[in-house]
Amino acid sequence: MSKELIRLQDLVMEFDGEQILDGINLTINDHEFLTLLGPSGCGKTTTLRIIGGFLNPTSGDVFFDGKRINDVPPYDRQINTVFQRYALFPHLDVYDNIAFGLKVAKLPKAQIHERVQEMLAVVGLKGYENRRTDSLSGGQQQRVAIARALVNRPKVLLLDEPLAALDLRLRKDMQNELKRIQQAMGITFVYVTHDQEEALSMSDTVIVMDKGRIQQIGKPEDIYNEPQNAFVADFIGESNILDGVMLADYKVKFFGRTFKCLDAGFAPNEPVDVVIRPEDIDFVPPEEGHLTGTVTSVTFKGLNYDIIVDFKGFKWLIQTTDHQAVGSTVGIRLNPEDIHIMHKSEYSGMFGDYSSYSAEYDELTEDADDEEE
Amino acid sequence: MKRTNRIFTILIFIFLYIPMAVLIVASFNTGKDITSFDGFTLQQYVRLFRDEKLLRLLGNSVLISVLASGISTMFGTMAAVGIHGLKPKMRKAVMSLTNIPMTNPDIVTGISLSLLFVFIGGKLLGQKESLTFWTLLIAHVTFNLPYVILNVMPKLQQMNPALQDAAMDLGCTPVQAFFKVTLHEIMPGMIAGAIMAFTMSLDDFVISYFVTGSDFMTLPVKIYSETKKPIQPKIYAMFTLLFLLILVLMITMNLIQIRGEQNKHKRRATADSKYARLAKRIGAFALAAVLVLGVGLLIFQGRSSTVTLNVYNWGQNIADGSDETMDIIAEFEKRYPDIKVNYITYASNEELYSKLSTGGITVDVIIPSDYMIARLKNEGMLEELNFENIPNYALVDDSFKNQHFDPENKYSVPYTWGTVGILYNTKYVAEEDVTGWDLLWNKKYTDKILMFDNSRDAFGIAQFLLGYSINTTDKTQLQACADKLKEQKPILQQYVMDQVYDLMENEVAWIAPYYAGDCMAMMQNNEDLAFYLPVDQGFNFFIDSMCIPTCCQEKDAAELFINFMCDPEISGANMDYIWYGSPVSEAKQHMDPVLAESDVVYPDQTVLDNGTSFAFLPEEISRYMETLFMQVRNS
Repeated sequence: MSKELIRLQDLVMEFDGEQILDGINLTINDHEFLTLLGPSGCGKTTTLRIIGGFLNPTSGDVFFDGKRINDVPPYDRQINTVFQRYALFPHLDVYDNIAFGLKVAKLPKAQIHERVQEMLAVVGLKGYENRRTDSLSGGQQQRVAIARALVNRPKVLLLDEPLAALDLRLRKDMQNELKRIQQAMGITFVYVTHDQEEALSMSDTVIVMDKGRIQQIGKPEDIYNEPQNAFVADFIGESNILDGVMLADYKVKFFGRTFKCLDAGFAPNEPVDVVIRPEDIDFVPPEEGHLTGTVTSVTFKGLNYDIIVDFKGFKWLIQTTDHQAVGSTVGIRLNPEDIHIMHKSEYSGMFGDYSSYSAEYDELTEDADDEEE
Repeated sequence: MKRTNRIFTILIFIFLYIPMAVLIVASFNTGKDITSFDGFTLQQYVRLFRDEKLLRLLGNSVLISVLASGISTMFGTMAAVGIHGLKPKMRKAVMSLTNIPMTNPDIVTGISLSLLFVFIGGKLLGQKESLTFWTLLIAHVTFNLPYVILNVMPKLQQMNPALQDAAMDLGCTPVQAFFKVTLHEIMPGMIAGAIMAFTMSLDDFVISYFVTGSDFMTLPVKIYSETKKPIQPKIYAMFTLLFLLILVLMITMNLIQIRGEQNKHKRRATADSKYARLAKRIGAFALAAVLVLGVGLLIFQGRSSTVTLNVYNWGQNIADGSDETMDIIAEFEKRYPDIKVNYITYASNEELYSKLSTGGITVDVIIPSDYMIARLKNEGMLEELNFENIPNYALVDDSFKNQHFDPENKYSVPYTWGTVGILYNTKYVAEEDVTGWDLLWNKKYTDKILMFDNSRDAFGIAQFLLGYSINTTDKTQLQACADKLKEQKPILQQYVMDQVYDLMENEVAWIAPYYAGDCMAMMQNNEDLAFYLPVDQGFNFFIDSMCIPTCCQEKDAAELFINFMCDPEISGANMDYIWYGSPVSEAKQHMDPVLAESDVVYPDQTVLDNGTSFAFLPEEISRYMETLFMQVRNS
């Protein structure tokens, strides 16, 4: 691990005067599973297409193994791609789809046969050689697309929302499958998705993007636990984000009270965003709580309840296994490790208020995110 | 509601397909006539397949269609791919530009192309002959291109753009990606485009007409130039076969499209796809073979002959071996094996003139009528003849020499001659009414009278009636003639040219002015018809003569041909087919006695002295006459 394979330097992309990428800098290491995560139009697919060689950046450089490859066409890059809707060749059967790259490279027939069979085994499609691709299920087509790319033994595999068209069950299976294949083949995966759960469960490194800029790079745990701004905090999981003031190291004031926290290194009295994850909050009897509020809605979610509590007009989302009745007064305690402090950013004040929360809210946004570009 | 809809649909189908049905029925008819079905026969098909010339023309048409559709499919696909790569706004603009030629009137396209070819070939490259097989091919490719683009474009748009990326991702250069992936995706569109282009090419007349040179003629152009006489029934047989061919192609095209749609939804077995691949390969091989064969044939044709003599004559104006006549051209080639005759045809003096004057065509012998000879001579477009090479000129009657259009007998040798008189049906027309041109104005026969549908002949009749010269340039006299013709219009059945055969033979009309030779032919088919020449009032007497244009390349061979045509035996045999008068008296001994003894074709010399031939009119006058005639027709 950790040998640098691809480096993007000051990538800028403009399309008809519109800024798609705004100074992207990142490094991808050998054997790494790296995910570009972000909402529609954040520039993640554009970044992927620049790595693949299908787009030329307006400015900035792409390095591969230390060499600048801006002008190397896609067919000369040691990179293969799994496309968003598979892009299998409809006039070829499964075998010929997988063998396509090897035939273009003019490998001996016997070798092609051996490698295609090997790939069919890896993706679990043995016996499907002569099937037409349009007679396969979505998941099977997905495997053919992966096999078609991997059979060329690329150093890097690019995957552009490969699971977006699959149903939830199949998506979960394929996530495991992909992770398994990546480890078995020992190559680098660059994965694009808007699904934060997918990103967190599969990746070694997650890059959160928005508005053509990288918001945060880190391991999944770090991204979740230490979001760098309100956008990341909100996009990854659920967050209550409050205005606060950092009085001194380890001391933050919000809601008129001073709390202990684990964060340091802020300027004295610096205004900050305070993040409190819904599942970190514990209910206590009102008289014991740091804060008291009124329950305004309760939704049963299976594993837990989503409970909205009104604290002095500011509504929080709290996820707990304890049922509370609507209208009841509750108290909460906040431990220092439950409080995460972030610098103010352009996203401050845009997220983290559940005043307009409804149970369907999540599903609606997810649907809208499904289509990118 | 549903029933009325259905009835309406059926009516529309009847309306659309009845003309074809009539043609198909006619092709199986034993009778010569299309008005009555006498019995079923395949005779016309037998005749068709025995007619080598017709089959060669059909071959020409198929060859040009195959080449043109193949080439335009190639270039059209390239263009479509290029247009598809443009930004959407630009793409729309370019698409509407490529669509314009389809809605452009063919005649405009034809004339523009002809001008362009003559300009480039004649003026820039200095070619003597600027309209050739190649210009015809270029013209066909040009008008086919938009149809190919129109068919390929939607396939490109339907294609998943990621396919091309995927191919490049897997190691293809953009060109490889096109051939390995895109081509397969747009293939149905290309096939549909090619079939459409093929059918457009096969039946194109208007554009071909303007860009056809002397070396290559397609079937529709040939058929048009032969409409002087009624269309032969074997042509019906050929049209029937052509119609079936196009029907099969169209059905194939639709099947391909339907298949394409189904493939997206249906699963297909592998065996099937293997067959499809094999079929595709065979198809591609066949197409390549036809292309190679066609080009090879052309090169071979171009190299094989020794001397090629280009004879440019009226359609159906030479005996061709049909109906037990002599094949004059074959006879000539037999007698002079070093010379190969390339025989092409025109439909009117004016067509001959425009082809010659634009330099679009190079020919060695032409056969224009009197007034056109004068015009060509005045414009320096005729070569003086070397009469030492034409000893048979001595056999031509003196009465056809020293004509006003060639007073010194330097430029022309008479080919045929004839008169214009009145054909009438004795069953319906009282003999005492047949006194002169007035018969055409007789109200008793309202709606049974036909009239020439060309200004010169129509005005000629009025001029004889009013006692003017038929070559007058006096506009007041012409106006008076127009008034006379206007007076006649209400009692006319219609203005006609070739349809006169059907209308008179079937007694739909009773009275018509027409050329004596044609009248004679009609009289053979209907015994009640008679011919009358208004000797006292005067009549038109015309001579078609053989001339050599200045663009001639084989003058010796041309003079040999002219001499050959004056041979009494040949001239006589020729007249058996065209039914006009031979200027060589001795020829009468070698022709059908019915013809030789007919006073319709060969009136007395004293009678002939009353005939007048047309002289060339100044352009201003002929245009004025044309305008007046249009007014008469539209009044």
